[in-house]
Amino acid sequence: MIDLLATHFNYLAVVALLAIGLYGVTASPNLVKKIIGLNVFQVGIFLFFVTSGFVDGAAPPLLGHGSAPYASPLPHVLILTAIVVGVSLTAVALALVVRIYDAYGTLDEDAIEEVRTYD
Amino acid sequence: MTDALPLLVVVPIVFALAPIAVDRVRENTGWLAAAAAAVAHLGLSFSVLGTVLGSGRTSYAVGGYAPPFGIELVADGVSAVLVVLVSAVTLATVVYARSVGPRSNTFYSELLVLTAGISGVVVTGDLFNLYVFLEITGLATYALVATGRSPAAALAGLKYLLVGTIGASLYLLGVGYLYISTGTLNMADLAGLLPAVGYDSPVLLTGFALLVVGLGVKTALFPLHTWQPDAYAESPTSVTAYISALVSTAAAYALFRVIYTVFTPTFDAAVPAALDVLVVLASVSVVVGSVLAVLQSDLKRMLAYSSVAQFGLVVAGFAVVNQTAAIGGLVHLVGHAVMKAGLFVAVGALATVAGGRTVDDLAGMADRAPVVSGAFAVLSFALVGVPPAVGFAGKWHIVLGAVEAGRWIVAGVAVVSTLLTLAYFARVLERLYFRDAPVAAGVADRPDAATASDTDAALTADGSGSGGAAGADNNPVDAVPTVPPQARVVVVVAAVAAVVLGVFATDLISVLEPVVEVSFQ
Amino acid sequence: MTEILSLRPLAAVLLPAIGVLAIVALRRNPDVREGATILTALATFGIVASIVPATLSGDVYVTRLGTLVPGIELTLSADPLGMIFALVASLLWLVTSFYSIGYMRGLDEHSQTRYFAAFAGSVGAALGVSFASNLVSLYVFYELLTVATYPLVAHDESETAREAGRKYLTYTFGGGVAVLAGAVLVFWTTGTVAFTPGGIAALASADPVIARAAFALLAGGFGVKAALMPVHSWLPDAMVAPTPVSGLLHAVAVVKSGVFGVARVVLDVFGPETISELGVGLPLAAVAALTILVASVIALRQDNLKRRLAYSTISQLSYIVLGLGILSPTSLVGGLLHIPAHAFMKLTLFFCAGAIHVETHTDNISEMAGIGRRMPVTMAAFAVASLGMAGLPLVAGFVSKWYLLIGSIDSGTAVFAGVLFLSGLLNIGYFWPIVYQAFFQTADDSDAKPLVEFPLGGQRVRADGGDPVDRDEEDDGTAGGDDDQTDPADTESSAGDDQTDPNGGADPDTGLDAGALIDTTPTEGTVEPDIDPSEGESQVELEAKVEGEYAVDRHPSDHRRDERGDDDPAPADAVPDTEHHADGTDDGHSHHGGAPASGWEARGFGAETTWFMLGPITVAAAGAVALGIAPRAMVFLAVIQRVVFEVTGVAV
Repeated sequence: MIDLLATHFNYLAVVALLAIGLYGVTASPNLVKKIIGLNVFQVGIFLFFVTSGFVDGAAPPLLGHGSAPYASPLPHVLILTAIVVGVSLTAVALALVVRIYDAYGTLDEDAIEEVRTYD
Repeated sequence: MTDALPLLVVVPIVFALAPIAVDRVRENTGWLAAAAAAVAHLGLSFSVLGTVLGSGRTSYAVGGYAPPFGIELVADGVSAVLVVLVSAVTLATVVYARSVGPRSNTFYSELLVLTAGISGVVVTGDLFNLYVFLEITGLATYALVATGRSPAAALAGLKYLLVGTIGASLYLLGVGYLYISTGTLNMADLAGLLPAVGYDSPVLLTGFALLVVGLGVKTALFPLHTWQPDAYAESPTSVTAYISALVSTAAAYALFRVIYTVFTPTFDAAVPAALDVLVVLASVSVVVGSVLAVLQSDLKRMLAYSSVAQFGLVVAGFAVVNQTAAIGGLVHLVGHAVMKAGLFVAVGALATVAGGRTVDDLAGMADRAPVVSGAFAVLSFALVGVPPAVGFAGKWHIVLGAVEAGRWIVAGVAVVSTLLTLAYFARVLERLYFRDAPVAAGVADRPDAATASDTDAALTADGSGSGGAAGADNNPVDAVPTVPPQARVVVVVAAVAAVVLGVFATDLISVLEPVVEVSFQ
Repeated sequence: MTEILSLRPLAAVLLPAIGVLAIVALRRNPDVREGATILTALATFGIVASIVPATLSGDVYVTRLGTLVPGIELTLSADPLGMIFALVASLLWLVTSFYSIGYMRGLDEHSQTRYFAAFAGSVGAALGVSFASNLVSLYVFYELLTVATYPLVAHDESETAREAGRKYLTYTFGGGVAVLAGAVLVFWTTGTVAFTPGGIAALASADPVIARAAFALLAGGFGVKAALMPVHSWLPDAMVAPTPVSGLLHAVAVVKSGVFGVARVVLDVFGPETISELGVGLPLAAVAALTILVASVIALRQDNLKRRLAYSTISQLSYIVLGLGILSPTSLVGGLLHIPAHAFMKLTLFFCAGAIHVETHTDNISEMAGIGRRMPVTMAAFAVASLGMAGLPLVAGFVSKWYLLIGSIDSGTAVFAGVLFLSGLLNIGYFWPIVYQAFFQTADDSDAKPLVEFPLGGQRVRADGGDPVDRDEEDDGTAGGDDDQTDPADTESSAGDDQTDPNGGADPDTGLDAGALIDTTPTEGTVEPDIDPSEGESQVELEAKVEGEYAVDRHPSDHRRDERGDDDPAPADAVPDTEHHADGTDDGHSHHGGAPASGWEARGFGAETTWFMLGPITVAAAGAVALGIAPRAMVFLAVIQRVVFEVTGVAV
């Protein structure tokens, strides 16, 4: 068990981040905090990908930089793309939050729900 | 012409930029750009379809990197059909939006980005690339949902964004699991490598579960559907029509690819429990979605829950893992897109004329909007599964496949779903045709008609239930909004398409069949 | 049997569809529109008739329309069995078209274009049902028939009609679903659903459990439209449709499509041999026998003429199913022959009911005493058809019943012969009083029914679709007569029926007759103490009322406002039903049934109603008689014998 934790501590971090993020999205009534939670959640996944490409003591896959084993560069590349996606999502989300705040004057989901039932 | 494949994605994106670029110089270029892109897209789609029909599966290596290392775009029977569907719906939406808006350039840009995303989902042969396109689709959809001016639309958009992103992230996590076990992301390559890993390995099973849940959120299967009714109800009609026809469809298509191209039916043979769960989930989705649809008074919400049910049927067809049922699922996927888009446009048009979009608002609308009402009736019965419309073709195959595979739940649910679907459409049709408009409107509109001999009025105006534009023309009040001609065209085309697709279902199936056959070999 | 490729079967199905388009296109010109209906009906019948010689010589015209779904062709084939149904439907459509015109115009019905279009669509679908060459094609048209008929059931646009429409859709789609499931099972076990005389061979060797399940689903599914008990109850409710619809569709085309489906299943899908091996014929026959008896008994209790006819239909349809369930060649002939026989007779009866309604606005049997003076030809036709229904010789019903009797004795199930005899007696029981009182009693002098017993205001079942302007008249006219038939006040207050009512606008509480005070609240099933139910029949009618048999009793909400009179405008809760614009003027169109105060006036031959209605009545009645006197001269018997020969190999 200890051994597993020692060698796979990155997965622990991933799981922790996923859990924190998911909790943030579901538990907080504040829309901005939900978005923050979403970002944490995604970072967990990014971490999962990036660390999975890591090989202990491996060389970067470049010509003339030692010999095998090489670390795989592909997960990093993928995650670069995923980060871009994540950033754009956050941007759209925040833009929507601004509109919601303009309309309701609050970011509290429960309060908004109350306002809407009055309408 | 394999170059058409990347162009399917590139063309809409380029045209999406055009309105923004020339916005300062000339306004309202959005519609032109969208129309041009839609027409070009349609042309490209047909050329892809032609290629596929001529020489079978074609692929394109993006950037010249040969798969499995580079990203591969693939067109086979299924994706070619769906690409044509995407183009057709895009064109119809652009035509429809001409009359009802939204008219802003940003709307058209977003629409084209969405088109690009969906086209990408459909043609990609790479799991991670699929994620990127799913997120492009998602991003554009969130923004489009929020184009409704109301704050409720923004809220619906944000809700959709939160749920949708979690779904996509779960999918991404699932991709990660597959990647760390095989080291590849290419679908075809994965299919070859997965058996070596062992289908029953926990990593693969977890990966599969994550992929299915992630796509289930995007497809809006019960109980992952919570984002969908709000999103459909709050967005402008042109947006609802588009996303109801294509966005969930794209996700369900991705599910098809995951089950059939990546995991292949041998996975089902090795681990039957995995798809049993999906079968149950989908069957529950059909029943609960239909029941919720019956409970709705808002028509858009009713149609939204109807989508939950219908996608349950589609996924049930996939999850049976049997050639007949899979084809049924695909046929219903295509048919549902056509029918649901038409239904949403029809509801939008009827709601404009009626001044409200609850079920009761539609009372007596058949007299005032006979063409749209007639098309609505045709589409409703098509979705119910009345032959020879396309709803029947899909349902027949799903039921038959389920029986062949011994999945009696799916067979039962699919058969009973006919009645459930009827339950929510019948009350709308009854109000459309067999109830008169509320008294207030009737008295105000027709001060003379009441005292004049009812005979003539009944013979001419009221008698035109099944067609013609008599109702609209005869209405004496100027201020009464009428159905825009574009809407009329779109609805009628959808209704005709639903019937024609059903009549020529065999030809549709002959295009789809080879793809499913391959995965069963 | 040789197959001949031909477009004729397709033409027969397509012509009505084209007719629909023509009718809709001509909606602005009712005369031309009706012309289109007649022309289409004529052309359709012509095409179907032109196939007859080939059928008699053993040839089958076939139109192949390609593949419906893989493995299943969409093929129309005019085989002998299909020809029976197609001939009946197309011939009687032509007759009904004339009648429809007379009826719909006689009542100034609303939405006539929709009515005629849906009617043509229904017939087209029925022809599709008859020519479909496999179960799935049959299902296609079967469902289309449901859809096309729905607007006709809900035509009246009243709450009752809507409810009937809802019920109709639920029942028939439920049946359709069962048919679909059964078809899937058959396709799955045998790989084909094509109709084969004598049955699909592979079914005989299939797993008996699956085969029985498939048979139960198919027979049960078709049984819904065939109105087998206990899934019959949509049919009496569907009587709110205009009478031509009740006549052609709910006595001929729609219900017979169900029966026809059962026939296809028995003869061409399973085949008599397989069915007797599976042991499912007897249960089917038992259900049919039970339906025959129970429906007849219920029919005795109906006062509304159309409802009584509806229950009679339910009972008579089961004759056919009984013949199919007994499985002996003779009974098969009898059952199949009853398809045209019952069609002619029941159509006559419905036509008569409709003519009475149009001319006198009388819907209830209790108000028809002496009506033979007013409508001699109509009631004579009614009498002839009733005799046929009871199975008396020289009318169509006798021939088919004869075969059925022989068949049931042949096959050793004499109990069914007993059922048939008993049913004949019951038929006389519920038809004879109508005929008797029409000719041999008068409204004033019907010993069985004292004047106070039945309100002249009549009961507003609106079985006919009514007319758009009558609602408010009833508000200021005879109030209260709708809900409680035995209200004595109405007899007085509506005495001056067609003139302005002296009691107009007044609340019935303050009515002229003190007796009215007893019963002013329209509670269901209130029976007045002063009733003298001296005739056996009226006793059962009263019982029917006590139990709230009528749709109007069960859903009185839209009638309540009638109690309030004019000076008390319709309250909000009644508003949803005010679709027909009130103008308050009397255009001579009252809905009050029964004889006028002076009794029925005597009218001579041809003066009782329009020839648009009288013509079809006489034609249909003549058809029923012709079929009874010279069954061989009419092609039906020959075609049916061919069908049975092909299926069983026995020449009957």
